[in-house]
Amino acid sequence: MAIDVVMPRLGWTMEEGTLVDWLKSPGDAVAAGDLLFTVESDKALNEIESMDTGTLHIPSNAPTTGDVVPVGAVIGYLLADGEQGPAEVPPPPAVTGASGAAASSATATATATATATATAEAAASTSSPTPGKSVPISPRARKLAKELGVHWESLSGSGSTGRITEDDIRTAAQNAAAAGPAPQSDGGQLASTESITGERTPMSPLRRAIAERLSLSHRDGAPVTLTAELDATDLVELRERTKPRPAFNDYLIRYVATALDRHPALNTSLSGADVVQREGIHIGFAVDTDKGLLVPVIRDADGKSVEQIARESSALSGRALRGELTGDKMTGGTFTITNLGAAGIDAFTPIVNPPQGAILGVGRIAQRPAVHDGQIVVRWLCVVSLTFDHRIVDGGPAARFLATLRQMVEAPASS
Amino acid sequence: MASPEKVGREITYTEAAREALTSAMERDSTIFVLGEGIGERGGNFNTTKGLYERFGPRRLRDTPICERGFVGLCTGAAMTGTRPIVDFMFIDFILDAVGELTNQIAKIQYMTSGRLKMPVLLRGCVGVGGGAATHHSGSYFPFFVNVPGFRVVVPTTPYDAKGLLATALRCDDPVLFLEHKSLLNVRGDVPDEDYSIPFGQARVCREGTHVTIVGVGPLVPKSLAAAATLASEGVSVEVIDPRTLAPLDMETILTSVGKTGKLLVADESFGPCGIGAEIAAQVMDQGFDDLAAPVRRLNGVHTPTPYSPPLEAAVVPSVDQVAAAVRELAAE
Repeated sequence: MAIDVVMPRLGWTMEEGTLVDWLKSPGDAVAAGDLLFTVESDKALNEIESMDTGTLHIPSNAPTTGDVVPVGAVIGYLLADGEQGPAEVPPPPAVTGASGAAASSATATATATATATATAEAAASTSSPTPGKSVPISPRARKLAKELGVHWESLSGSGSTGRITEDDIRTAAQNAAAAGPAPQSDGGQLASTESITGERTPMSPLRRAIAERLSLSHRDGAPVTLTAELDATDLVELRERTKPRPAFNDYLIRYVATALDRHPALNTSLSGADVVQREGIHIGFAVDTDKGLLVPVIRDADGKSVEQIARESSALSGRALRGELTGDKMTGGTFTITNLGAAGIDAFTPIVNPPQGAILGVGRIAQRPAVHDGQIVVRWLCVVSLTFDHRIVDGGPAARFLATLRQMVEAPASS
Repeated sequence: MASPEKVGREITYTEAAREALTSAMERDSTIFVLGEGIGERGGNFNTTKGLYERFGPRRLRDTPICERGFVGLCTGAAMTGTRPIVDFMFIDFILDAVGELTNQIAKIQYMTSGRLKMPVLLRGCVGVGGGAATHHSGSYFPFFVNVPGFRVVVPTTPYDAKGLLATALRCDDPVLFLEHKSLLNVRGDVPDEDYSIPFGQARVCREGTHVTIVGVGPLVPKSLAAAATLASEGVSVEVIDPRTLAPLDMETILTSVGKTGKLLVADESFGPCGIGAEIAAQVMDQGFDDLAAPVRRLNGVHTPTPYSPPLEAAVVPSVDQVAAAVRELAAE
């Protein structure tokens, strides 16, 4: 009996994922535990491990790499020795929203859970140890780490109590080998093959997720950046008058949400050969943490007041910094804001966070000389940079989006 | 040594032990049995049934209720070169003779530089079961493991009961032979001929790869039942029966932990300073780098045993509790 290989559900809100690449070829022997294919969901690129053993068979009508595939859809089969595989995969289950998908494809979902686990889930898991405490690791895993030369201090454990397990060490060793000097022909390698010396630390799952995601963006995207200088003087004054005082970023999240509502071309994703108009305006904001960049998401930001957004963003940042952010809080973003103003950066060009189509980089708000009503005066100015994927968005809509944003920042509404 | 495979002859645990006793008494005329109701009555648990008719009152001596007295008597008898067997019926009453046991029986060989032997067999029923209430439900394995000089034997199958009792009756050291109430009527394959099982050799009752259970006494069959359930969930459990607690076969346990990385010690007797604590400590000493999770223990509730059957059932580890503990370990 052929075993279905299906698109796994990697988060509560995931309804579909992009089949990025097969890690095995048709006809290859696959053992339980082998990495079988990669899936891109909202958060990251996930390597999917096979839970079964067999020979990989991919019918001709199966989804191909780059396709967006509904959760639970069959993408291939694992066959027993000598077994003849099905000629076709069945039509995928209908996607009608999270609950509908769960109801209509209950069997497929169960199969997905049973046959696939995402090794990269560790990147978004809540089991990260509390900063300042030693990383828990079993003696067995520590012994193996020593044997394989794995530096485990930066790993996050997949054990039920967050403990690093023997399997985590093996995975890290495999990842290190894959990222190491062994050349790869598919362009999937993350590092130069040049021989370099120095202390080596295997990438943490989070670091690896970031690296893979941004490599993908950089390799496949066609980024263009538009820069605008905004006069934030009135916004600074409005903020001074508001109690409790929101962060500048909270205003920006609110204004960007409105601008996206008016310019939906910026709220799109490329999926295979389709441009997908995203449903809802969910804005991710980048948080710099000890373990790496995390992007929690404010959902439906266009329907929320600045005050609501301020409360939510402060709670989410706090959780991100404490390492308590769960994966579902980082999934589903349709646009990202990244703000380096607090770090004293004037302007920078961010990189698009796939599968999103655009990202706004915000520089510091500083007093600078400006021409205002024909006079040179001191004003609060701020440079924003909008990077977008030119494959799906043109310069016109992007410029109009920035014009709307300028309007809102320069004549700010109080909520 | 005969193998434990199917021989087509099933007898009970008690019958198997009695076969070993009968055979030894025929072979060795210095063996005699002391205890309450072990003569004509054949023993409260049928341990000596039919032997009085066969070997007579000289070798099956009924005693009054005076444990310290007849244990002391056996100490002297053993010094003269005989092999006394004290049949305590319920092992709880051995406590009346603890001074004699720990200060004399366990130390005589040491005190005489080995010139005197102390081949005393101390046997009795242990454990919770049958509404026997708190004075008749003790196990006490750890007491005797804690004192240097004793051998402590806890057979769990008819095959092992016969083979281990045969060894006990050739041993020159004092041996505690502890038979759990719930196992007495268990039937199993036992060869007709004599055989013996050396002390200090654990038995791997079931092979597995994910978690090791060391079961003591009735927790061996319970662990095997849990292992069968867990196998259907994809958790592969190795079950080890140490068979003797002194000497303890740590090598078999350490080899298994080397394979699985995870260990549960399941024992009906009390947890504090118990066999589980001892095994856990030795595994941490000698197998620390093999551990993938903390060693877990499952013990009887640390309380005097209740009489009420439902309460009685609640103070001993169940098959479900064993399975739950293994699931937690497997998920560590």
